Amino acid sequence: MQNILVRTILSYLILFGTPMLLPVLFIKLVGLGGIRDLVTYEPRDTPLHKLDPRLKVLYPIGMGTLSIILNWDFMLIVFGLTIIPWFWLKPSRAKIRVLMVLVIGPAIAGFWSQGLYYLPPAPIHFLWQFPWTLSWMGSPGITTYGMVFGLQQTARVLVTVSTSMLILISTDVGDFTWAFERFRMPPAVGFAMTAALRFLPEMVARTTLVLRAVELRGYDMSRPKFIQFTRWPDYVRRLSRAIVIITVPLLVGSLRGTTTMAMVADARGFGVNRRRGSLIEHPLTRYDIAGYVILVGLVVTAIVLRIFHIGARPY
Amino acid sequence: MLITGVSGCGKSTLALALCGLIPSRIPGEMRGQVMFRGRALSGLKPHQASQLVGMVFQNPNLQLINQTVQSEVAFGPENLALPHHEIVSRVSWCLEVTGMEGMRKASTITLSGGQKQRTAIAATLAMKPQVLVLDEPLSDLDPVGAQEVLATLQRLARSEGTAVVIIEHRVDEVAPWADRVVLMDKGRVVLDQPPRQAWADPGPWARTGVGVPDVVRLAHALPDAFGGALPLSVEEAAQQLSGTWVVPALAQAAAARAASADLRARLEPEPAPDSRPPVLAWEDVSVEFDGKRAVSDVTLQVAEGEFVALIGANGSGKSTLVSLTVGMGTPSAGQVFFRGQPVRPGKVFEHAAQVALLLQAADEMLFEDSVIAELRFGSKFRALPPDPVLDVEGAIEFFGFKGLEQVSPWELSQGGRQRLALGALLVGAPGVLVLDEPTTGQDAEHMQSFLRLLDAIRSRTGLTVVAVTHDIRGLASRAERIVALSDGQVRLDGPTHHVLGQIDELRQCGVLSPPLPRLQSQLLGHCDDVLLTVADLAAAVSACRPEKVGGI
Repeated sequence: MQNILVRTILSYLILFGTPMLLPVLFIKLVGLGGIRDLVTYEPRDTPLHKLDPRLKVLYPIGMGTLSIILNWDFMLIVFGLTIIPWFWLKPSRAKIRVLMVLVIGPAIAGFWSQGLYYLPPAPIHFLWQFPWTLSWMGSPGITTYGMVFGLQQTARVLVTVSTSMLILISTDVGDFTWAFERFRMPPAVGFAMTAALRFLPEMVARTTLVLRAVELRGYDMSRPKFIQFTRWPDYVRRLSRAIVIITVPLLVGSLRGTTTMAMVADARGFGVNRRRGSLIEHPLTRYDIAGYVILVGLVVTAIVLRIFHIGARPY
Repeated sequence: MLITGVSGCGKSTLALALCGLIPSRIPGEMRGQVMFRGRALSGLKPHQASQLVGMVFQNPNLQLINQTVQSEVAFGPENLALPHHEIVSRVSWCLEVTGMEGMRKASTITLSGGQKQRTAIAATLAMKPQVLVLDEPLSDLDPVGAQEVLATLQRLARSEGTAVVIIEHRVDEVAPWADRVVLMDKGRVVLDQPPRQAWADPGPWARTGVGVPDVVRLAHALPDAFGGALPLSVEEAAQQLSGTWVVPALAQAAAARAASADLRARLEPEPAPDSRPPVLAWEDVSVEFDGKRAVSDVTLQVAEGEFVALIGANGSGKSTLVSLTVGMGTPSAGQVFFRGQPVRPGKVFEHAAQVALLLQAADEMLFEDSVIAELRFGSKFRALPPDPVLDVEGAIEFFGFKGLEQVSPWELSQGGRQRLALGALLVGAPGVLVLDEPTTGQDAEHMQSFLRLLDAIRSRTGLTVVAVTHDIRGLASRAERIVALSDGQVRLDGPTHHVLGQIDELRQCGVLSPPLPRLQSQLLGHCDDVLLTVADLAAAVSACRPEKVGGI
């Protein structure tokens, strides 16, 4: 282990192995189809689906705020609370797979990057210290303190990711529009969100199709095996060139689609009135009231605790 | 009202003007006015016009903005800020008349083509228009789905008093439902009459290159058999022909064909078994998506030089099956072979050199800025065989691009772009040509020219062709063999003239046999060997007319 060559090779593998693992994990487990699944609303008959849309819009904001202002110990409680509604929702297996990657990916990234670059005050305890052949790149090695710090920061991000995803897949876009209107936001905000969520899966499907079409026309998009190191640069070059090639059909198709969508929206009277009607009325139910009480209670409690310097984030 | 005409004759432009989107949303010079009960539509805003004249666009995917069926239908009334009870009542009514009530909460991306089209109609109806304009509403639908949509539209017209204007190339299917037919050519209306009068004179139709329903053509070919009244549907034709000399003549012609086939089978020696492996073979193939079976235990072989059509309702597994031949998708069981070699899932680039797959959306297969560059695209990345049947220069000549080499593909017509994509694939010298819905949305003339091109390619290259299609009357009828799929399984497989006579079995596959086979089946009770063209049918029955038979 004292051999500089061995330490250099191991250090390079440690430094670059993990970041390379993330895109592989994403492509293998999620892929373009997974992105489509990610934002697809799943109609179900659960109490979560029936909650007041305003509460659903406020929920990620409230929990995200808690994740920012509280310290790590309290943050763990907040993180745990955001997991509970998922058991209530019981999402499809496809969604769970994508969600797991979305959770594990940033966790590894945060854990790893902070472990490398977040340095505590001396004396520093290194899990693995890089030799001079690598430390010139800016990181002296991996620290325990940095990794724990990375984990904390990641959990904070995941609170917002988890709550937002929960709401996205359990709420019809029409309900978001309704909530935005009740918050006195212009209808265009709701429509922009509607169009994005409706057409992102369409765009992903078209991109997949065009990528297939490129291959059908004789363009090599085959991915080398993980250990075929010499073939990876060529693959990256081919992939970059393919992006240029597929831009034209994607752009032409999207522009055509946008024109039709704009005409449809016009023909259906979009933007005629500042206030819109609603098919679904959302009278306050006991679930809504309970939800509001819990959310407001949590936020108020966190603020009060902070005032008394309990659980306040030290940095 | 049916409005028809060749591609580019101005039908869709007229539709956009009818619903007020021209000139309000599409710039251009417009002379004259579109009047609605004495009121000019061009002065109205789109949402005002859409409450008088609603428009359903060609591609339902692009006009469904919301995530669920009910929110899509409610979108218009919500924008108009109607009271809650009015929105609820409109949504319920629209879903009921379009037969979508049971799918109220379904996600729009999970709907079939027919369901999407009906949702788009429901969403347009929610604006309570008095006229409904539909631009090629049947183009993505299988024949049974098309009949469902047409029945919905007729219900609207008859019971709700909504005027329905359909722009469509598939005149055979719309003819029995229309009260009035408008033929357009080069931006002008050349004919506007009730259907029987409209098709009484085939002249304008022949001059404009627009298809005429098969039963109408048959009536023109056998005028004395129909007694002058023009039939518009198979049922009408069968009613008019029953009891006439045509039925025994048809039976006699069928018996003669059967006897001739029997004699040929006995006299001709059994062909030597082909020692070569089939060019394509699916062995016990199943495919699953999210736990649902799209293809189930399919075993199928395609011989060298064959022309096979795969037919079936939307979602029957046709496209999934052919996509496996280039490694697109992975079978959950079984294996696909090309000339005896297994097709490796995911290796699309590798297999695309052997199997040329022309996607339905041929536009998505064009990437270059000129015709010549497009034809050379494949050779930039892959070595072509030293002596291809069709090289780039040959393709320019063969596909009619002489003088257009430097033109951008986007300046070509839709048919031209499809020809270019096909030519670019064939320059790669594949062993099989697989076509996925190549004639969708094409008018009769373009369809015929595509079919002629296909014949020319086959006679020049001897290429094996596998075509996935809903176009039973045009493309499938040209195939030597038809394979009908239903729920991912092969239900019928045999010579075209035999399979198209299995009317009930095809209907169970969600496929409506073309008018002529259905007519023969109705007249004879059952017909195992049907004639597929008007010319063949007219010639066969004329040859067996009683006076001629007596003279022999």
